[in-house]
Amino acid sequence: MSEQRGLHIEGLRAGIEGNEILKGIDLQVEPGSVHALMGPNGSGKSTLAFSLAGHPNYAVSAGSVSLDGQDLLALAPDKRAAAGLFLSFQYPAAIPGVSVANFIRSARQAIRPGDLTPAKFRKLIFEQLDVLDMDPAFLSRYVNDGFSGGEKKRLEMLQMAMLAPKYAILDETDSGLDVDALRSVGNAVKALRESEAGHETGFLIITHYPRILQHITADRVHIMMDGRIVRSGGPELANEIERSGYDKIREEVAGGIA
Amino acid sequence: MASLSARAPEALGVGKAALEALLERRGPGALPAESRRDALARFEELPLRRTIRSSRGWKRDLEKVDLAAVDAAAAGDGCVEIALPAAAAALGVIATSFERGASEHAARFSAALGSAIDGRDDKFAALSLAFQNAGAFVFVPAGVRLDDPISITYTAPAGGLFPYTLIVLEHGAAATIVERVEGASGTFVAGIGEIVAGERAEARVVSHQALPDDAVSVASRSATLGAGATLAFALAESGADYAVDRTRVFANGRGANAELSVFFFADGKRHIDVESEVVHVAPDTTSHTVVRTAGTGRGQGRYVGTIRILPDAHGADASLRDDALLLSKEAHVDSVPALEIAANDVKAFHGATVGAISEEELFYAQSRGIARADAERMIALGFFEPALSRFPGEALRDQLREQLAGRFGERVDA
Repeated sequence: MSEQRGLHIEGLRAGIEGNEILKGIDLQVEPGSVHALMGPNGSGKSTLAFSLAGHPNYAVSAGSVSLDGQDLLALAPDKRAAAGLFLSFQYPAAIPGVSVANFIRSARQAIRPGDLTPAKFRKLIFEQLDVLDMDPAFLSRYVNDGFSGGEKKRLEMLQMAMLAPKYAILDETDSGLDVDALRSVGNAVKALRESEAGHETGFLIITHYPRILQHITADRVHIMMDGRIVRSGGPELANEIERSGYDKIREEVAGGIA
Repeated sequence: MASLSARAPEALGVGKAALEALLERRGPGALPAESRRDALARFEELPLRRTIRSSRGWKRDLEKVDLAAVDAAAAGDGCVEIALPAAAAALGVIATSFERGASEHAARFSAALGSAIDGRDDKFAALSLAFQNAGAFVFVPAGVRLDDPISITYTAPAGGLFPYTLIVLEHGAAATIVERVEGASGTFVAGIGEIVAGERAEARVVSHQALPDDAVSVASRSATLGAGATLAFALAESGADYAVDRTRVFANGRGANAELSVFFFADGKRHIDVESEVVHVAPDTTSHTVVRTAGTGRGQGRYVGTIRILPDAHGADASLRDDALLLSKEAHVDSVPALEIAANDVKAFHGATVGAISEEELFYAQSRGIARADAERMIALGFFEPALSRFPGEALRDQLREQLAGRFGERVDA
C-alpha cells in the first residue's frame, strides 16, 4: 500500500466545452510534501484544480489521477473530498442563509461522521480562528456572503484546517491579499503541517507570484505553460521567476532548450 | 356567548340558510346580523379580485373550492386559545376572545373595528365577515411596552372556521402578537386580521398558517399605521393544500414604517397565493418587504407585491425584494412586483428573481464533502433565511426552520 501513497496525476488531459486546456499533466504530490505550481495567466492552473476536484463543467478526456491508490476521477466531487482532497477556491461561491459554523460542521460531519463532540468541534474551530486571526463573529455570518477578498481566503483556510485533508490544493489563495492576510494563509498551512491531523498533508500550491513561497517553503516547484508542465525543480526555480518573470522560460521552451 | 358543542346533522355550506342557522344557534355575537347579511350578499355578488383569479396553467381556483361541507355554526369556545404574558394584564393589556372584547370592552372594541378593513371590495373577506365565528381582541394601552409575545392559536374544526383578529396598539405601545392557525383535516378557514397601530406604536405581528396539508385557507388582513408607528409583519404560509393570503398596510401617519416578511414553500401539489400591498399615504413613510418563496414537486405559488406611493407621500422610501427558488421542473412560481408612484421626491426599489439553485454553490458544498442532495437541502433552507430571520423570537424561528426542513424529508441541525 505504501508505494501507492500520494496524489498521482498521469497524462491528464482535460478541458471545458470541447476546448482542451490540459495537454497531458504528470505530477506527483507525496504525503507531507509541498509542491508549487506556477505559471502565467491562462496556462491551465485553475483547470487542473477544478478537474481534480470534479467541477461539472470540466471534462477529463485522458489520463488518470489516484489519491493514495484510489481512482479519484471515478468519484463524485463530495466523494473526492471524503477521500481526502481539498480545494481552496480562487473565487469561492457565496451561500446566503447558511452560516459558516453550520457549513463547516456539515462538511466535517460528512467527511468524518461523528468524530468530534459538539464541544470538541467548538474548541477546535476557535483554535483555528485564532491561528487565522479571525473574529469568532465570522462563524455566524453567511458563507462568503458579502465577504471581502481577504475574508474569503481566510474562510478557505479555516475550512482546510477543520477538514485536515490528505491533499490540499490552494488555487491562487495568495492572489489579491495584503501582507497580513498572506501571513495568515502561511500560518494556516504551517499550523496544519505541525498538527497531528495534518502532518502528512501534501500541498499543491497554485500561484502566479512567488511571494507566497516566502511564507511556505516548497519542496518542488513546477512551471506550467499552455497546459503542460514545462519545468520542474527545487525552490530556486521560484527565485528565477522572481528575478526574470516567465518570459525567459517561455523563450527557452519555444526554442526547445527546456 | 352562545356556543354549541353538538354538530349540525347536515352542513349547510355558506348560503343564506347557513347564515340564518348560525344567527339562530349562536346569535349575531360581535357583528350585527344585518352587517353579516350584507357581507354575505357582497360575497355572492363580488367577483374574485383580478390578482388571484385562476390563470392559464393554474390548477387551483378559489371559486371552485367546495364549501358545501362548511358548518360555521359548529365552532365552539375551544377554537381559539389566547395567552397573555403574566404581567401584562396589570398594565391594562387586554387579550381576549372577539366576543368578550365586544361585550366587555365595547368602546375600545367598536372604535377600532372596521377601521382598517371593511370587506367591501374583497369577496372572501366579505365571506369571513358574514360567518365570523371565532376571534381575538388585543388591546395594548398607550405607552405600555411588552417584551413577551401575546399568542393567539386558532384550531379549526372540520366544519371550518371564520376567525377575526383585531389588534389595537395605542400611541407609544409596543407588543409582539403571534397568531397561529391549526385545524382538522380537510378544514376550511377564512380569516380576517385587522391591526391598528397608533402614533409611535411598535407592532410586531406574526401570522403562521400551519393547517394540515389538505386544508384550504383564505386570509384577508389590513393594517393602519399612525405617525411614527412601525409594523413588522411576518407571514409564514407553512401548511394547507391551497392558501390565499392578502395583506394591506396603510402608512397613514408621517414617518410610519412597515417591515413585511413573507415566505412559503409550495411542495407536493400545494398552491399558495400571497399578495401584499403597502400604501404610502403620508410623507416620509418607509416600507421594506422581503419575500422568499420556493416551489418543488408540482407545487404552485404566486406572489403579487404592490407598493403604492400616493401624491402626498413626499420623501417616501420603499423597497420590495422578492426571490423565488424552483427546485423541480414541474413546480411553478410567479412573482409579480408592482410600483405605483404618484409623488415626487421618493425612493422606491423593487427586485424579483426566479431561479434554480446555482451549480457553483452546489459544487462548492460538494467539494467540502457534502452530498449533492444534502447540499441542495442546505442551500434551499438557507434561501429562506433573509425572510425567516426577520421573524421575532429564536424559538419561533427554529420552529419554522424545523418545519421547512421537515418538508425536505429530513431534520437538519440548526
